Amino acid sequence: MFGVLREFAQGFLGRGDATITVPSFDGALKPNQALERAETLLQCEAPEELASNGAGVYFADGTSLSRIEGNGAITIREFDRPITALACLPGGAVAVALDGREVRIYANPAAAKPRVTFEGASMRSVNALASARSDALYATDGSATHDVAEWAFDLMERGRSGRALRLDLNTGKISVLAQGLHYAFGACAMGDTALISESWRHRLISVAPNGASKAVLTNLPVYPSRLSPASGGGWWLTAFIARTQLVEFVLRETAYRKRMMAEIDPEYWIVPRLSSGKSFKEPMQGAHLKTMGVVKPWAPPRSYGLVIRLDAACKPMFSLHSRVDGTNHGIVSAIESGGWLYMIAKGPGRVLRLPIEGLAKEFGV
Amino acid sequence: MREAIIRLRYRYWPDHWLGEILSKRWTETAIPVFVLLIVGFWLSQSIHNFLSLASLADTARQACEIGFISLGMALVVIVGGIDLSVGSMFALTDFCALFTLDVLGWPVPLVAAATVVCGMLLGAVNGILIGYLRLRAFITTLITLIIYRSAFDLLIQRYSNDIAAAFPDFPSWDFVGNGTVLGVPSVAILYIAVAIFGHIFLTRLRPGWHVTAIGGSRRSAYNSGVAVRRTIALCYVASGALTAVGALFFAARLGTVGGDIGVGLEITVLTATVLGGITLGGGRGSVAKSLVGTLIVLLIINGLTTLNARGGVNRIVLAGILLTAAIVDIRWLKNRSRIISKVYVSPTYLALPEPPATEIGGGGPFEQNDKLRSVSLIGLGRIEAPEDVILDRHDNLYAGSRHGDIIRFFPPDYERMEVFAHIGGQPLGMAFDRKDNLYVCIGGMGLYRIAPDGKVEKATDETNRSLYSVNDDSRLRLADDLDITDSGLVFFSEATVRYEMDEWPIDGLEARGNGRIICYDTNTGKTHTVLRGLKFPNGICVASDGQSILFAETWGCSVKRYWFDGPKKGAVETVIDNLPGYPDNINLASDGNYWLAVVGMRSPALDLAWKMPSFRLRMAKRVPGDEWLFPNINTGCVVKFNEAGKILESYWDLKGVNHPMITSMREHRGYLYLGGIANNRIGRYKLERANPNFVQYEKRWGKQ
Repeated sequence: MFGVLREFAQGFLGRGDATITVPSFDGALKPNQALERAETLLQCEAPEELASNGAGVYFADGTSLSRIEGNGAITIREFDRPITALACLPGGAVAVALDGREVRIYANPAAAKPRVTFEGASMRSVNALASARSDALYATDGSATHDVAEWAFDLMERGRSGRALRLDLNTGKISVLAQGLHYAFGACAMGDTALISESWRHRLISVAPNGASKAVLTNLPVYPSRLSPASGGGWWLTAFIARTQLVEFVLRETAYRKRMMAEIDPEYWIVPRLSSGKSFKEPMQGAHLKTMGVVKPWAPPRSYGLVIRLDAACKPMFSLHSRVDGTNHGIVSAIESGGWLYMIAKGPGRVLRLPIEGLAKEFGV
Repeated sequence: MREAIIRLRYRYWPDHWLGEILSKRWTETAIPVFVLLIVGFWLSQSIHNFLSLASLADTARQACEIGFISLGMALVVIVGGIDLSVGSMFALTDFCALFTLDVLGWPVPLVAAATVVCGMLLGAVNGILIGYLRLRAFITTLITLIIYRSAFDLLIQRYSNDIAAAFPDFPSWDFVGNGTVLGVPSVAILYIAVAIFGHIFLTRLRPGWHVTAIGGSRRSAYNSGVAVRRTIALCYVASGALTAVGALFFAARLGTVGGDIGVGLEITVLTATVLGGITLGGGRGSVAKSLVGTLIVLLIINGLTTLNARGGVNRIVLAGILLTAAIVDIRWLKNRSRIISKVYVSPTYLALPEPPATEIGGGGPFEQNDKLRSVSLIGLGRIEAPEDVILDRHDNLYAGSRHGDIIRFFPPDYERMEVFAHIGGQPLGMAFDRKDNLYVCIGGMGLYRIAPDGKVEKATDETNRSLYSVNDDSRLRLADDLDITDSGLVFFSEATVRYEMDEWPIDGLEARGNGRIICYDTNTGKTHTVLRGLKFPNGICVASDGQSILFAETWGCSVKRYWFDGPKKGAVETVIDNLPGYPDNINLASDGNYWLAVVGMRSPALDLAWKMPSFRLRMAKRVPGDEWLFPNINTGCVVKFNEAGKILESYWDLKGVNHPMITSMREHRGYLYLGGIANNRIGRYKLERANPNFVQYEKRWGKQ
């Protein structure tokens, strides 16, 4: 009863959950154009995720699994379905999620037959994998109602069916660590607990083996996605899209949202995208008006590029941006290997590379 | 069904009136009037005979006596001061009237004159101290309150018996006190006359404006050359005089000089003033407010007295009302503009059909191409915001800039440029007349004429006021584009009458027909409105038949034709419907067809939002303007259409690098010149198969 009243009052006064304010990029998130100066290593069709086992960097591009060699890539194998998540396990094994519905473990990237296959457990959109302690794997299943590629539908339906899973490599058992998440997208082991990105709630949570969860980083101005460990402690957190007040507003406008989803091509919805500016049919906001031939970098981002370096306590240390007037948007994966930060900008379909040395000094606060 | 209800509701219910009415100054008077009606109703219910003629006449006499004092107080408060000494002045002038009449035996007219002069002198003391010696009004009038009261006490000790003993018997004196004309008390007639003059004085006369200006901002008034000190001093003199007039009538009515006359009067009058809505800080107020405030206060005092309330209760009630009114006044003053801005924006329903295809491979006349990529640039980085471009007979290129200049580029390469004329407002549409005068629409200013030698003249900046418009729409807010007929009529569009030029996105958010087309006759110099209720009318072009104009409705995504002459005179007809973008300027092409600039393209998200007015209303309130859903004017194109409205071809800049926005285009000697209001360049595009000798204004007006 009280909750209903509070919700009504908040909706009426525009407070609490009804506010459409978005935190600003401030402090460690102060904008820069670091991602714009990153080297474009590869241009590909549908890059999805990077993984490293310390020796090499693997990446998933559509249905193929490749390894980065020098300035190019060698395709190792092809699958019949698109790869939606990739992880390297200790001992040279790799884990791939196919079409969000199946997770296979191969003893090595080229192995003919999978060692273990996880299926069922109503997995629908497994979008991230991470190795956990004691022969297990963390997986995030974004949504029970939409496939991986259709995350925008889940956002616009205010989906809350994401799950964090634990896959036991020895027994082949799938256990649910957390459910009812507002889109889970990204996982990493943090000691015994799992660090999970809960995208639609703009936060990171830690989930203990017994299922107890705790928010560790909240109120992000972006929608967090995949995580990877950083050398020297801490993590690299990617943010595949950024929040805008207009989207927050539309999320609270049920009638408009329903008609938009029913009547308009998803490309032209009022929703964050991985890339933007391709068509004039995309919704334009006030600050997007090109004045004197210039697009303002501070305009509300329909697509954005961001990687955040978190310290061991999950506090942001610095961040790398590609702002509204840039192109390297939709960063879905960032991993560290051999002194380089490899990243996938899914918007333009690029694999990017940036030397890590000096970043903390240049952008740290 | 639901959609139909929404459509009808927004078509017939004038949402936009609320904001327009609230932004009128007189709505501030409406609230006290409402209170007055409530108080009047309450008293008429609880007091028997309250509305009888005798009771009303008695109330009217009292009201007018206090009303005079309130008028004086209003004047002083509007000029930014306060007059606490009115009660004492009232007592002294009352004494003056009775003393001169009863003791000195002066004739009645002389008594009246003496009383008023006495009041003026008393007021002048305040005026000199406050106006010229710059003492604080509050402390000064508090001191004079005490001094005048003491003087009065000394005087009545000496003369009260003389006055009380006299029984003046002059018909004229009785007429002042109790006379009526056609049943209206004499005092009321004078009050009405003074009030009407006061209203005209405050709203229509220069000294009245000075009073308001000083109250609004003393320093600004001083800087503008207003005689601040003298005006303030005179306001106190006027306050004294008006108090004396009130006292004169009081003396004639009652003929007594009791010790408590005028005690606490300043609180009554001050309450009336504040309650009427005259702001204590100064600068805002009117005669009507003063009258309404007086009536409310008097009704309450009389009502309480009749209801046998004790004197103390009376005072407490008055003080309570004063406090409440002062709080309301301050809060209202603080939040007024915010409240108005919240209710002023009122989106309406606009449903556009599915737009025609523009995709490559989609076919049709709007299929995108990259023809404008080869455009060469003129004045890159040197000109800002050339909304319209125009070329004269000598191939000179003219364009407006946001600095308020008309820039002229010289042929053949258009590298050299100069400021042809400085106007001060943003130049928009341009057209040459028969004598090579350049007519320019200036956003926020009106229609201007620039002679070939660069001399700037105002052609017109106002039109006739609409009968049913709440806002005063006689001034031009956003003159946009124009063309001139053979007979010398300048037809120009005014995009919106509800917003200023920089607020055009709000007009787009409303999507209501807020615009109009106006005709300025160069022969007579007269201006009148031709068409109203248009959705952001923009480009205007006289059609080849010489009897009609073509005009673009930007938010309506259509081009229409209006006949100003010939058999179909007065008719409006749609020429192009359902464009995939927002049309802007229209101009003649060398092959007899027309060029149309499409300033931006429609996006499905906005098309849907236009069908959901309440969604847009909430967006306007909750989302900051920079984040609003806008019409996409980052991509545009140029299309050519024929007399029948058929689209013949379109020109696009796919990447939008050179010309993201196109608001105008002008064909000249085989080239197409492109302007854009958010651009820092003018484009020049070589047309194939175009007449290389085409000069628009030679074709229109003949060679010279």
